[in-house]
This record gives sequence, C-alpha cells and structure tokens, in this order.
Amino acid sequence: MISVSNVSFSYDDGTPALEGVSLDVPKGEFLCIVGHNGSGKSTLAKMLNGLLLPSSGTVTVAGMDTADNEHILDIRRLVGMVFQNPDNQIVTTVVREDVAFGPENLGVPTEEMAVRVDEAIKAVGMESYAESAPHMLSGGQKQRIAIAGMLAMDPEVLVLDEATAMLDPMGRRDILRIVRELHEKKGITVIMITQYMEEAVGADRVIVMNGGHIVMEGTPAEVFRMGDELRAIRLDVPAAVEMRELLLKEGVADCGDAMTLEELSESLCRSLLKN
Amino acid sequence: MPIVIEKLTYKYQSGSVNEFTALKDIDLTIQDGEFLGVIGHTGSGKSTLIQQLNGLMQPTSGKVTVDGFDMNDKKQRMKGRALVGMVFQYPDHQLFDETVYKDISFGPRNMKLPEDEIDRRVREAMRLVGLDEDEFAEKSPFELSGGEKRRTALAGIIAMYPKYLVLDEPMAGLDPAGRRAVSDMINGFRKKLGCSVVMVSHSMDDIARCADKVIVLRGGEIFKYGAPSEVFCHAEELNEMGLEPPFAARLAAELRKKGFALPQSIYTNEALAEALKPYGKGWRNV
Repeated sequence: MISVSNVSFSYDDGTPALEGVSLDVPKGEFLCIVGHNGSGKSTLAKMLNGLLLPSSGTVTVAGMDTADNEHILDIRRLVGMVFQNPDNQIVTTVVREDVAFGPENLGVPTEEMAVRVDEAIKAVGMESYAESAPHMLSGGQKQRIAIAGMLAMDPEVLVLDEATAMLDPMGRRDILRIVRELHEKKGITVIMITQYMEEAVGADRVIVMNGGHIVMEGTPAEVFRMGDELRAIRLDVPAAVEMRELLLKEGVADCGDAMTLEELSESLCRSLLKN
Repeated sequence: MPIVIEKLTYKYQSGSVNEFTALKDIDLTIQDGEFLGVIGHTGSGKSTLIQQLNGLMQPTSGKVTVDGFDMNDKKQRMKGRALVGMVFQYPDHQLFDETVYKDISFGPRNMKLPEDEIDRRVREAMRLVGLDEDEFAEKSPFELSGGEKRRTALAGIIAMYPKYLVLDEPMAGLDPAGRRAVSDMINGFRKKLGCSVVMVSHSMDDIARCADKVIVLRGGEIFKYGAPSEVFCHAEELNEMGLEPPFAARLAAELRKKGFALPQSIYTNEALAEALKPYGKGWRNV
C-alpha cells in the first residue's frame, strides 16, 4: 500500500530528520511507530501523504509517487491524517459541516455526501453531537470528529500522528477503541505514531525510531523484550512489561511475554496460585 | 502557614440561565511543603480549583486564604497571589519576551529585586529546569521545542521563589524520558526551595511517584482525599470513573479477585512485587 524507499529528509536549517529510511506497509496492517520527541517519527508520518517530500529517496502510495504533483490529490484521498492538536483541525462551527468539509472539497455529490457524513459520525459514536458546535466538545470528542472528517473521505489508510497525546486516559481509550474497530471492520490500514507504549501492544508490527533511523522492528512481543534498549533511547515499555521485568528480577515469577494487565494477571494466577 | 479552602463553591455565569456549578462545598488545606496531586476528568472542576489558589477566579461563595490572606479581598489578594506560582498546560501562552533570559527575568524584575539578585535567580532557575545557559539564554522562546518552552515557563515561575507552585498537566504531551525529567526536576526544586507543590495530572502513575496527598474531584466535589495509599486502594471505583489508577494498584485489585491475599495499600510496583514474593518461592524449580 505504502512504500518508503531509502528516504532522507532535512529541515531548512539543515538538521537531518530522516536518514535512509525504508519501510513497506501492506494493505490492512496495523502499524505502530514509536520514538521520543525529535526521533523523526512525525517527519516520517508527514511523508506518507506528501505533506513533506523526501530530500532523497521515494515514497509511493498505491504505486503513486508523492513527489508527483499530478497524483497528490489522489494520494491525500487515500491517506487520511489526524494530528496531535484537535483545535487546529476544526474548520467550521457545526460538527456535521466539519465532517463534510473534506468530501465537499473532493466534489462528492450532495446525496452521497449526506450518507458518508452520517456514517462517519456514527463510526466514531458522535451521533448525538452532529449539530453541536465543535469548540464546545472535549479534546477526545474533537479528535473523534477529526477522525470522522477523514473517514468521510473514504480513505484506505489512516495515519494518526500522536492523535492521543493531549487526551485524558478516557479520551485515549475511546480513540484507540474506535481506531481498532475501523481496522477490524472496515479493513482500514492504520499507521499510528505514538509515545505511549501501551498503544503499541495491539499492533501487528512496531517500528522504533531514533535519530532519524529505524532502530528496531518486530511484533510488540519482540520489541518489548528489549526494555533496556528502549530505555536507552529515551523510551519506555508498557506498564505491564515494567512490572513483569521487576517480578523476574526479584525472582517472583516469569511471566513470559505478558504485555497487558490481563495477560500478566492470568500468568501470575497460573504460576503462583496453587489450588 | 497553609492555603485553606473553606466551603468553596464556584458557579460559572452565576445567576444566568447558563449557570453551571463547577465546584461545590470544597474544604481543603494545603500544608507547607506538601505535594498535593489533583486528579479528575475533564470537567471535574480541577482547573477551576487551581485557578482559585492564586485568585485568578474568586469563589461564588466560601473562602480561600493563602497564608492568612483572604483571596476575596482585593488588597490581600495581591499579597496572597505573590506566594503562588502557576504554570499552565500550554506554555506558549505564557511566553512573550524576546529571549529566554528576559522571559525568565520578567517575574523577578516585577518583584523589584536588585539586578544582581535577578541575574542570580534566572541562572539558578535555568539550571534547576535543565536549560543550558550558553545554549538557551539568548534564544527566542519561539524557537524552542514544546518541552523547552515548558521548562522556560517553569523557570520563569520558580525564579520568583513561590511558596506554592501550581502545575497544570506539566507532563502532558511529553515523551517518557521527558516525563521522568520533569518529575525529577519538580522534586529537585521542591527540595531546593522548600515549596509546596500542587500538581494536576491525568496520570496517576506520575502522581503516585511523588505526592504526599491526593485529591480526586468528580462533578465539582471531592470524591476522594488522603494519602496515596488511601486513595489508590479504591482502584476499581476510580477505574469505573475512567480515571486510570496506578498500574500496580489495578493489577493488585485484579489479583485479589482471583484469590491472592494482598494488602489494600499497594500502589507501587515495588510494593506489589514484595507482597507477591511469598507466593513465588521456588518457582525456578517448578
């Protein structure tokens, strides 16, 4: 679906943000990209729909080169992006109009648009707010509207660039749940950029960025076995993994690859509770 | 002397049809040197509460006194406010001067301190928040990254030597290393300046690491208040409210359900591992 090939990028002041990054994202994958602030992960995200163009190397989406001006609109239709700050993504004064803004600009016929907008608002569970003013919503609700706005354009790929970073735990949980549903039910390819390791646990694949390079890649289980390596590059492991590391170190229990509270609790019951 | 809040009620647009009660009958004392963690949902009243602490908002009814200064009284409010330093969630809104150095010196200069004392405090504050003087002093605040802006805003406040330091979501949006750095920093200048800290955070794990007392707000009222172990032992209730108790408290609650006998007071990984040790004897041999 998306192919990043040997991409380098420097900002105007000469700071290199990406160096020789290659990455293939097959259709239907749930990919998580993690890295600390300044690791290059957001720069990479902005490459995926041509918001930024590589200084060298190529990015293609469904075979179309993002550097090719002729294709840029098609690419943006296929790849929807949601950013960190919900307030910067809202453009109108009524939720329904905000969601309709994208498809309207794509020239979608009025009738079809009404259907798309309703479906998109429903998919993010915001039906009862369709006529509300976006600025009255909470941060999490605003992000749901931003996602709905992307869905209304019927994208094949959804890129979430730290879309949960400013939300409270409940808002974060809601967004994650909605994104997982979209992935499972509609088969949307999801690329999630985050610094919350918990959010990477359910992904098909995790890519770890540092200093503009991909430094680790694997399933969540594989990546989170490398706790010390992750901490060395200013990252963390999910809370369950941190606990499991301590239990192992203290000689209490070996909980294998448990990455969630549920897995850890089950593993402890199996190994420590004797009936 | 402490900050004392008595029967505090605050209504937005009081008296109008849109009247909304944000805080109801709050009684709370913040002791000298104490670290208070404030937890609650968006809309629980936590932002309204902290804005009462320096008189940015005044109670609709009830009373807030800071070291004896009544924040309802205009003259006393100025004296009370001088003791309370506030750092908001969006640092961009707090920075305005040409250079980082000038921005940090703004507060101390307003306090009419002598020039050499201002200079000493700005340098000290930069050191405490981990901003290298040579690198940052002459930079424009607008060239900084999000984390650096936040440090600059923080330095500007601590250079005033507040007796009470109020921080609204100081770690939101920071990466894990950034969170640890901010947390160490807060502990660092708390030791150095001996100030009280009031910290609002969504992350109970962050609060569990440093708070002496925890207050949980719900719908403008105090839902729980006490030492961390007294508050976090209600892991399930907090979870149902959509607040995320520290991981160890949640896991301990789950394990208790499964039949482990674990003390209610557990909220750190270390305490949980310790409590599980008796169960783990000899697992290597199994």
